[in-house]
Amino acid sequence: MSDDYAKAIPIPGPESVPFWEGAKNHKLMIQKCSDCGHHWFPPSTVCTGCGSRNIEWVASSGKGKIFSFVVFHRLYHKGWDGEIPYAVAVIELEEGARMLSNVIGIPVEEVKCDMAVDVVFEDATDTLTLPKFKPV
Amino acid sequence: MIEPSTHLRDKYALVGAGHSRLGKVPGVSAQGLLEEAMHNALDDAGLTTQDVDGLICRGPDEIYTFHQVMGERLGIDASFSTTLTNGGASQVMGVALAAMAIDAGMASCVLVGYGRDNWSRVHANKENHMRGSGRPQQMYGMEFGPEFGYYGAIAAHGFGAQRHMHDYGTTREQFGAISVAFRNHALNNPDAVMKKPLTMEDYLAGRMIVEPFGLFDCSLQTDAAGAVVVTSTERAKDLRQKPVLIKGFGTGNNTSGWFNYNNMTHTGAIQSGKTAYAMAGLGPEDIDYAQIYDCFTYMVLVQLEDYGFCQKGEGGEFVASGALALDGAMPTNTSGGQLSEAHVEGMLQVVEGVRQLQGIYGPERQVPNAEIGLVSGHGGNTVCESTLILGAA
Repeated sequence: MSDDYAKAIPIPGPESVPFWEGAKNHKLMIQKCSDCGHHWFPPSTVCTGCGSRNIEWVASSGKGKIFSFVVFHRLYHKGWDGEIPYAVAVIELEEGARMLSNVIGIPVEEVKCDMAVDVVFEDATDTLTLPKFKPV
Repeated sequence: MIEPSTHLRDKYALVGAGHSRLGKVPGVSAQGLLEEAMHNALDDAGLTTQDVDGLICRGPDEIYTFHQVMGERLGIDASFSTTLTNGGASQVMGVALAAMAIDAGMASCVLVGYGRDNWSRVHANKENHMRGSGRPQQMYGMEFGPEFGYYGAIAAHGFGAQRHMHDYGTTREQFGAISVAFRNHALNNPDAVMKKPLTMEDYLAGRMIVEPFGLFDCSLQTDAAGAVVVTSTERAKDLRQKPVLIKGFGTGNNTSGWFNYNNMTHTGAIQSGKTAYAMAGLGPEDIDYAQIYDCFTYMVLVQLEDYGFCQKGEGGEFVASGALALDGAMPTNTSGGQLSEAHVEGMLQVVEGVRQLQGIYGPERQVPNAEIGLVSGHGGNTVCESTLILGAA
């Protein structure tokens, strides 16, 4: 935790508050349809599988795999100065939902599609926790 | 179930095409560039703004009701007028919408164009330069992106490229074949921004930007605009240029999201192409050349697959075989494309698609015996696609 956090601070939309509150408590919250069982992310107000409005927030196991990834070699934001190269990935959680995050704890050269990963929670500031992913 | 709308086939035509100065054009707004392109397109057709009653255009996305800004600047009262917001798919879609508007009796002669002052904006200040974008930060998502250091269209398309490489064994050298082929085309286009030859060695030596994309996988930042004029084929007979027939068009949008299903490797071009081919009564085997939206090399490769010019997964081998050259299996982006001519989000692809059928080029630039061409637009949040099939009159 740091007062001089230089990276972008997300501005949650009204539907995303449970996700960010969950992250602060080190839970990876995603949405689930109470009718068809479909899981999805990012948040919406209807099931993206069947259209039902009978939906709930649930904690994901945090286990998944890297669906795809890129490695940033160019600085687009001063907050990442000194961290180039870094990996940004689309993570497919075992519940089926996909989300954007970083792959950490491994050299970028070793990141591969379909690699098994597990969530880790990075407390970025006193009020912001980011779910990131580490190879299992 | 979509029924092909064959009654529109050949009924409307592109009768003029033009572009502005391309590259670094300081001191001119996107609106000014678009005026330049629109006047050039009207001159090409032998028409004036007095003949125009439809306006479909796009400029910097943060300018509210851009078409009204242009109408006022051009002095046009348009019975049909709108701005599209499908990103790089807007421009090809604008031509389709023009034909639909005329067919619906809402206009008779429509100007379609897009202008951007992107080089000037990116180089206007340090912040824009670092972000590599002329769009205000507020236009991007404020969560599920920037906090993870995820910036720019390059990363979104990079995910697709990476997954394609994983699923089908596609290589960076194959992406490089696209850059090299388009640069070769640009060398025969006196208006193209890039004037230096590019070899595979140059491509591979280009610095990494967002892996798997290096410098030469990326389209150009340019100040530029393009425009075309659409009217009925009947009216086109009396105009200056040989008309270019709109044989078919389509759209396809993986609006369920780029990250979802296999959308990164099976794009909206599958549906968009299917609809356009059905309207035209043609298939991929009938196409003589293609102008494919090339924001990044990978998008060319995957769209060539999705339009059926080769099998899914074989795009790498196809582009590496020399297929994209003027005498290749599918001459593609014959003006140099957005990778080497200038980047106007697909509008210059429409202009070049038209010019190949106007019969105005010498042999160094003319696709031999070209009668049917395909033009694609791709963009929005990476998931919108539009397709135009053009034919010689």
